[in-house]
Amino acid sequence: MTDFTWLIGGEAGFGIMTTGLVFSKIATRSGYHIFDYVEYPSLIRGGHNAYEVHVSDNIVSHLSPTIEVLVCLNKETYERHKSRLTSSSLVVFDQDEFEIKEEIKKVIVPFKKILSELKGQPVMKNTIALGASIGLLGGDIDELIKMISEQFAKKGDEVINFNKQFVQAGFDVVKKNYPDLIFNYLVKKPGEAKLVLTGNDAFALGSVIADARVYVAYPMTPSSTVLTDLAAWQEKVGMVVRHAEDEISVINTAIGSSFAGVRSAVGTSGGGFALMVESISFSGVTEIPLVVFIAQRPGPATGMPTWTEQGDLLFSVFSGHGEFPKIVLTPGDNEEMIELTAKAYNLADVYQMPVIVMSDMYLSEGHQSISKQFVDEFIANYKVNRGKLFGQDQISNIKDQKYLRYKISEDGISPRLIPGTPGHFYQANSYEHIEDGHTTEDAQPRIDQVDKRARKWATYLKNDFTLPKIYGDIEKSETVFVSWGSTKGIVLQAQKLLKDKGVESAYIHFTHIFPLDKEKVVSMFNQNKKYVLVENNSWGQFGKLLRMETGIEIKEKILRYDGRPITPEEIIKHL
Amino acid sequence: MTTIQDFSGYNPTWCPGCGDWGIGVAIKQALIQLGLNPSSVAAVFGIGCSGNMNDFLNAYAIHSLHGRAIPNAVGIKIANHKLPVIAIVGDGDCYGEGGNHLVHACRGNHDITVIVHDNGVYGLTTGQSAPTAQKGFKSKSTPSGILETPINPLALTITSGATFVAQSFAGDALHTISMIKAGIEHKGFSVVNILQPCVTFNKVNTYQYYLQRVYKLGDDYKKDDFKTAVQKSLEINEEKFPLGIIYQTEKPSFTEQLPQLKDSALVDKKRFEDFNKLIELFI
Repeated sequence: MTDFTWLIGGEAGFGIMTTGLVFSKIATRSGYHIFDYVEYPSLIRGGHNAYEVHVSDNIVSHLSPTIEVLVCLNKETYERHKSRLTSSSLVVFDQDEFEIKEEIKKVIVPFKKILSELKGQPVMKNTIALGASIGLLGGDIDELIKMISEQFAKKGDEVINFNKQFVQAGFDVVKKNYPDLIFNYLVKKPGEAKLVLTGNDAFALGSVIADARVYVAYPMTPSSTVLTDLAAWQEKVGMVVRHAEDEISVINTAIGSSFAGVRSAVGTSGGGFALMVESISFSGVTEIPLVVFIAQRPGPATGMPTWTEQGDLLFSVFSGHGEFPKIVLTPGDNEEMIELTAKAYNLADVYQMPVIVMSDMYLSEGHQSISKQFVDEFIANYKVNRGKLFGQDQISNIKDQKYLRYKISEDGISPRLIPGTPGHFYQANSYEHIEDGHTTEDAQPRIDQVDKRARKWATYLKNDFTLPKIYGDIEKSETVFVSWGSTKGIVLQAQKLLKDKGVESAYIHFTHIFPLDKEKVVSMFNQNKKYVLVENNSWGQFGKLLRMETGIEIKEKILRYDGRPITPEEIIKHL
Repeated sequence: MTTIQDFSGYNPTWCPGCGDWGIGVAIKQALIQLGLNPSSVAAVFGIGCSGNMNDFLNAYAIHSLHGRAIPNAVGIKIANHKLPVIAIVGDGDCYGEGGNHLVHACRGNHDITVIVHDNGVYGLTTGQSAPTAQKGFKSKSTPSGILETPINPLALTITSGATFVAQSFAGDALHTISMIKAGIEHKGFSVVNILQPCVTFNKVNTYQYYLQRVYKLGDDYKKDDFKTAVQKSLEINEEKFPLGIIYQTEKPSFTEQLPQLKDSALVDKKRFEDFNKLIELFI
C-alpha cells in the first residue's frame, strides 16, 4: 500500500513550486492520487519555500503528520521539518552544503559537485533532486524524462537533453549508493487517468464548462491563479479576461457585461472583496446575475497573504448594504469546486442575484488529483440553465406590450431581456424601482419589490438548496463533526483514523451554506449526539451562522487560526 | 424615424435653468441624428443630478452606483462591442469618486463615450465642492474656500490615453450635439466635458461667467497633435475654456485588439465545447 509524503524545501525563487508540481504529476501518471500543499512567505526571493506532496492509493485531500522523504535544498529545510521525520524517513541533502548530526537515514546527493561538473544553473538542483527522488521511490525515470521534455518542449532538444543529464545524475547516485534504502512506493501501476488541479484551476475549469465569458480580477493571493489560468485560455475558449485597475472596477465591469447578456464572474480574496461589497448590493437590487469567487486568507487587512483561513464566511454572507438575497456556496474539494462553480452560474442566472463561491488558500493553491472520468462525465451532463431569459418566442409574445424588467411574480423572478433586443428597452436601476425599472420612492412599490426579491430566496430553498452531505452514520455515532468548505478532506481523514481505532463517527459537511433551510437543517441536529464544529477560524463563524439561522448551538469547537490548516490528528487529540 | 418623444421618459426634475436640460436634449438629438433608437443604444448613468437623467432618457440602461458608470460601460462594451455605449456622469462622479476608472478607461481605449456634466459642485447633495471647483470656491463642505486646485479634465484624459477629448458648453446646444455625435462616432475612448452652470448652488460659474470665457476652436486648430492638445487643455488653468475637439487620434480600441472578438460579439458567440484542450493541461 502506498501512502507517503515527499517534501522538498529550499530558498524562495529557485523553482520549488514547479518541481513540486512535476512530482505530483509523475505520481498521478504512475497511477496514484496526490494532495499537495505549499508553504511560502509573501516574498519572491529570500524566504523559505516548502512543497509537500501526499501520495496515496486513494483519493486524498489532507496532509500527513509524517514525512517519508525529505529533500533539503538547504539547511533550513531540514531544521524546519525534522520534527516530522520518523526512524524510517529518508533525508536527501548534500554534505558539501551542510551537515546533519542526528542519527537519521541520510541520502547524500552531491548537488554542488554535479552542478559544477555538468555546468548547471543553481535552479537545476531541483532537477537532480527529482531524479534522486524518483530513484529512491522506485519510480519510472522515463516518465520523469517525458515530463521534463514536455516542460521544455518549446525550448528545443538542446535544452531538453541538457536537463536530462541532471535527472539522470540524481537518479544514478541513488541507484548506485543507496540500493538498500529504495522504497518501492512509486512503482508504476495501472490506474484510471487523473487530473492534477488546484481549487483555483477547478474554479477556472468549472467557469469554462458553465460558459462564463467574462472574468474580471485584480491580482490577489490566493485567488490570482484563476486570473492567470483564464487569461491564458481566453483566446482558445472565447472568453474576455480583464485585469482591471481595482476591485471596484472589477466587479462593475462584470456587472456591465452580465447586464449585456454574458455569464460573468470576478475573483479575489477578502481585502479585494471588501472593496467590491457596495456592488454586491448593486447586483442584488438590479438583479444582475454575478458569480463571485473568494479565496480566503488570514485577515484582518493585509493579514498573512500566503497562508490559509476560513475567516470571511460571515463577511461574505452579510456582504452588502441593505436587504437583498444572495447565495453562498462552499465547496470542500476539487470535485465539489467544479460542480458548485458550474452550478453557481446556473443559480446566478436562474435567481438573478450574486452567488458567492468560497475557497481558501488550502483549497485554492494545493493540488488534488481527481478522476478524469469524473470531469468528463460532469461536462457531458452539465446543462447551461439561463433561467427566465427571454428568447425570441417570448419576445414576440410581448411585442406590443411594455417590457417590465422587475415584473412582480409569484416566485420572485422576472424575465430578463438581453440589451439590444429590438422594440424594447429598460433600465437596471440601483435606486428602488417600479416594475419597469423607473425610480420610485413610494411606499407600496418599495414593499412590493423588497418582497419580490425576498421570494427568490424562498424559491431557491424549495428548488435548489441542497442539504449538507452526511459521511458516516449519525445513528451509530457518538460524535458528529460539523464543518464547511476545505476542512472536508481533513475531517474525512479524522473519521478514518477513528474508525481504525474502532470509533464510529459522523460528519455533516455544508456546501450550500447560505441561505439555510431551517426546518430541514434542524432535523439533522435534533439527536442526542456530541456535535463538534471544525473551522479554520477563531470565532467559529459557521457555528454563529447556524445558530442565527436555525437556533442550533454547537458548544464543542475545534478552531485553528494560526494560518495553517487543521490536521486530522489535532481533531482526534481534541476528542 | 426615431423622434425625441421615443427617447423621452419621465419629465425631468432638474431646477429651472439648470444646464442639464440643454445636455439632456443634446444627447437625445445626437442619438437621433446618428440613426439610433432606444433599443440600439446602451447608456450607463452615474449618481447625481446628471445621473437622474436615467428616468428621462429611454434606452437599455444601467443606473449605476456613484462613480461606477465607467466600468459598467466597459463591461457592456466587452460583452457586446456592436452596441454603442455611453456613460452619462457628473464631475464628482467621474473626476472624484470614479477618478481611477476614468484614468484606466482612457489607457484601455475602451470604445465608450463619457459625457461629463461639469458644474463644479455636488448639486444633488446640495452644493458641496466638486473636484473641478476653482481653488478658493466656498461651499458647505469648504466654508473657507476649497484648498485643493481643480482637476483639469482635458489634460488628465489626454495624457492618460483618451483618443477623443472634447469640450462643450451646455448653453450651446447645437455645438454640444455635434460634440456628442463626434464622440460616439469615434472608435475608441471618447470624453465630452460639458461646462454646465448649476443655477442653484454655483453662483460663480454662471452662464454669464462661461459666456465671457468660452471660445470655439478655429478650423486651423490641429486636433491630432498631442502636444498642441496638451497645451490647449492647460488654458483651463487660466479660466479660458476652449470648445471643440481638443484632441483626437486613431488607435485600436480595447475590443478591436481581442482576437476572440474578431468574428462576433461575445454575447453572440457559440458556447466553447472542446474541453479536451483544457483538460490535457492537467494530466
